[in-house]
Amino acid sequence: MSENQKNTTNGSAKQKKEFFLSRWIKRLLFPNKELDIYAEEQMQSPMRMVIRNFFSNPMSVIALCVFIMIALFVFIAPHFVKLDLGEQDSTLVFVSPGYDMMKVPADLQKNGVADISVGRNYSVGADKEGNVYVWGKSKVTKVIDLADIPDNVKNAKIVKVAAGSDHVLALDNKGTVYAWGNNRLRQTTLPSELMTNNRSHEFGIRAIYASDQFSLVITDDNRAILWGNENFADLSYKADELDGHVVDGAVTNTAYVLLTDDGRVVCGSNNASTPVTKIPAAAAFRVKAITGSSNTAAALKEDGSVVVWGASTKGEDKIPAFSSKAVEIEGGRYHYTARLEDGSVVSWGSNRYKQLNVPADVTKSNIEKMYVGSFQNYAIDTDGKIHTWGLKGFLLGTDGLGRDVYARLVNGGKMTMTIGALSVVIEMIIGIILGGIAGYFGGVVDMIIMRIAEVVSSMPFIPFAMILSAVMGTKVTVEQRMYIIMVILGILSWPGLCRLVRAQMFAQREMEYVVAAKALGVKEGKIIFSHIIPNVMSVCLVSITLAFGTSMLTESTLSYLGFGVPLPTPTWGNMLTGANNSIIIQNYWWNWLFVGAIFGVACICINLIGDSLRDALDPKANGR
Amino acid sequence: MKKYILKRIIYLIIVFFVVSLMMYAIYNLIPSDPAMVQMEPLRKTLKPEEWQRQYQALRDQMGLNAPLLQRYARWMGFMPDVSGKFEGMLQGNFGYSISYKRDVVDIIATPMLNTIILNFVSTIITLAITIPLGIYCAVHARKTSDNLIQAGTVVGYSLPTYLVGILFIFLFAVWLKIFPTGGAKTPGSTYTGILEFGDRMYYMMLPIIVLVFTGLAGMTRTVRAAMMDTLSQDYIRTARAKGLKEKVVIYSHAWRNALLPVSTSIMGWMISVFTGGSLVIETTFALNGTGRLYWSALNTTDYELVLAMQMFYTLVSLVGVLLTDLSYTLVDPRVRIDK
Repeated sequence: MSENQKNTTNGSAKQKKEFFLSRWIKRLLFPNKELDIYAEEQMQSPMRMVIRNFFSNPMSVIALCVFIMIALFVFIAPHFVKLDLGEQDSTLVFVSPGYDMMKVPADLQKNGVADISVGRNYSVGADKEGNVYVWGKSKVTKVIDLADIPDNVKNAKIVKVAAGSDHVLALDNKGTVYAWGNNRLRQTTLPSELMTNNRSHEFGIRAIYASDQFSLVITDDNRAILWGNENFADLSYKADELDGHVVDGAVTNTAYVLLTDDGRVVCGSNNASTPVTKIPAAAAFRVKAITGSSNTAAALKEDGSVVVWGASTKGEDKIPAFSSKAVEIEGGRYHYTARLEDGSVVSWGSNRYKQLNVPADVTKSNIEKMYVGSFQNYAIDTDGKIHTWGLKGFLLGTDGLGRDVYARLVNGGKMTMTIGALSVVIEMIIGIILGGIAGYFGGVVDMIIMRIAEVVSSMPFIPFAMILSAVMGTKVTVEQRMYIIMVILGILSWPGLCRLVRAQMFAQREMEYVVAAKALGVKEGKIIFSHIIPNVMSVCLVSITLAFGTSMLTESTLSYLGFGVPLPTPTWGNMLTGANNSIIIQNYWWNWLFVGAIFGVACICINLIGDSLRDALDPKANGR
Repeated sequence: MKKYILKRIIYLIIVFFVVSLMMYAIYNLIPSDPAMVQMEPLRKTLKPEEWQRQYQALRDQMGLNAPLLQRYARWMGFMPDVSGKFEGMLQGNFGYSISYKRDVVDIIATPMLNTIILNFVSTIITLAITIPLGIYCAVHARKTSDNLIQAGTVVGYSLPTYLVGILFIFLFAVWLKIFPTGGAKTPGSTYTGILEFGDRMYYMMLPIIVLVFTGLAGMTRTVRAAMMDTLSQDYIRTARAKGLKEKVVIYSHAWRNALLPVSTSIMGWMISVFTGGSLVIETTFALNGTGRLYWSALNTTDYELVLAMQMFYTLVSLVGVLLTDLSYTLVDPRVRIDK
């Protein structure tokens, strides 16, 4: 390989000073012009040979391109897809992939909206002709799908709808209430007095509300009717005190409040304990409308001001200054949206899913009515056009804690690749230094280093890495633990590279250029690391490429077993932890399929590149 | 040869003790105090000075105050215990598991049997498939069928074992419903004899399939490479030049020679499967094997069990390396060992 050196210098003294890596990369990326056939026998450098062989194989070029694309993707995308490690939401658990949460059906848009209600990750709408539509993630369990609208609802002319977390209520023009969905906690079992043929006297229904596991109905003779899971929410109702006075209501996750005909907000239940039922003095008079978020309630007063009370955690109570009187207010899970007299729309609260980013055309157009819930907002203008903003859905769905799989995939990829790359660097440093020293000096030094290498390589890899990680990683931060994993992987995997470098060293140290360097009095360290090592780098390249794949694989295996990077920090390995149960594998396929696919493709590409490089280096494969 | 084997065995023993000392030292980094665990309930009933005195006495009695090397020697069985008896690893005392409340020796018998069955069966099946396949690939090298198999093997050895496991659970257990998703036997079953064995094998089938699948790729490539190397030898050319039939050339001259180097790599592959692959598989399939035992012991910080298992893994690995080297010299007399 001494031709290699002669070849590159090519008479220019400047090139000689360059660092070996930069020279090497330069040659890799910008090979010299192809030599003519007569010169080839003498002048073709081994490196160029390798590159030519490598690029003549279409498979390896494809693999290289795909791998570079994946690498660029996982290193660039995290700058745009930020990861919130503390992020989790019980209502967003196992949301299937797709941006269809606010995809309003065309028929609903065409026929005109009579009512829309937003439930957990899905929405229900009724058009002016009485048809009901369900869109979004309407599947509650494997068998229950809220989009399976019962026939009697389809036949009736529905005027109002209400969407709870897993059940839907609908009201037709004759005053009949329908309910469907999950009935595990009797959410859809209507109380007997609501059955049309069972009513003690004739009454109509003014409003229907559905929440998590319970429902509220306001009749037009000013009564409230409640049903659902009483263990979850306090559903008692002071009938003797409030009957005949209730005009409206609002539901939060676990409580409800009522609005009376004299403009007071009252707590309807007997033993009120939640913060929402402690109604502030400001909401006790001249209230026009009420609404609820997940843990708070809001009242719109006749003077156009808004009062928010309850357990506000994400800024629901930080009401911005309005430019004019508010005329309508609706609550989502962690936000409120208010329409003002001057036509503008204001949102406040949590903006995690962009539910506060009111589009510009909403303010411009004349909004007539708004429907808000969960993380979604719908606004209908006077032309009947529906404007939407908020959470559309998740590209790759969410996991068991309601975390965005796409964000975790991207950031986990960055983590896995970084750990893989850095552990290979550690492996390279140890392997090349020790291999170089052992091979160059031989004798006792070689013996000692090789014995150490044998001890290290005879240790069972995965069990040993597991115990090291378990013992060393107990009292450190996630970041430190990440570095510990890299060092463990590097320290346990250097012997292979060390042996390779040593063997190459044996061959190189007798070569003329080394003898020449020795004769010139070049220091031994310099001979090893700046004369010989650059010449054996091409051979080591295969080993390094494959080692990168192995490191990624080992890291992910360790993380999968729970001894790598700990949760909640994502890596491709620990994202697959827990995916080995049939429920997740079958019902929540997006939790493992995407990660598995991208990781599998990345590993296959690295191995293909490594194999092609090995073939390219093999003189027997040159076919000459 | 005898001298070489003796030298290697001595070397193995030295390495084993070096590794075990390292493991013991690492294990001692964990802050744990069995004396404190015993004495903690008495803290309220005794006077502080009296408690302190008893605590120190207990520590002395347990040998916790001794220096690291001495404790190691006691644990290994080189030195007598405080009570004057030799009770260490070498005497067969592998420690006491806190999570199982039993001696480690009693715990590892069943998992060991499961792991051995798992590895043994999967190894045999893998070899039965890979050797003919590798030979076929080498004979038909660079033809479409070979290229296809090569592409398949790259996929096979690139995918992490647990991913293949998850994929196969999806295919065979969830979708086709042929095999159970995990476990070692039908819950609540009281089979005996052949039925019990059949039930166990039924539960082990999917893990075996996964192990075979992940092992296929690497072994096929090894066999193919060895066979291709042999086919390019001069004696094969001579055999062909003599006018021998291709079948005779391949099945009488080439493949026996090709399998010599392969037999050594089988050993190395088996070690890696035993210590790495089957550990992942057992965890994925909740199969009661040594790998899963090791994993759960680490998770429950049952360190005496972990340490014993670690010693076991180290021993398996070292003996495996020794056998690999010995088999290499046995099958290929050209390899000179006594320099």
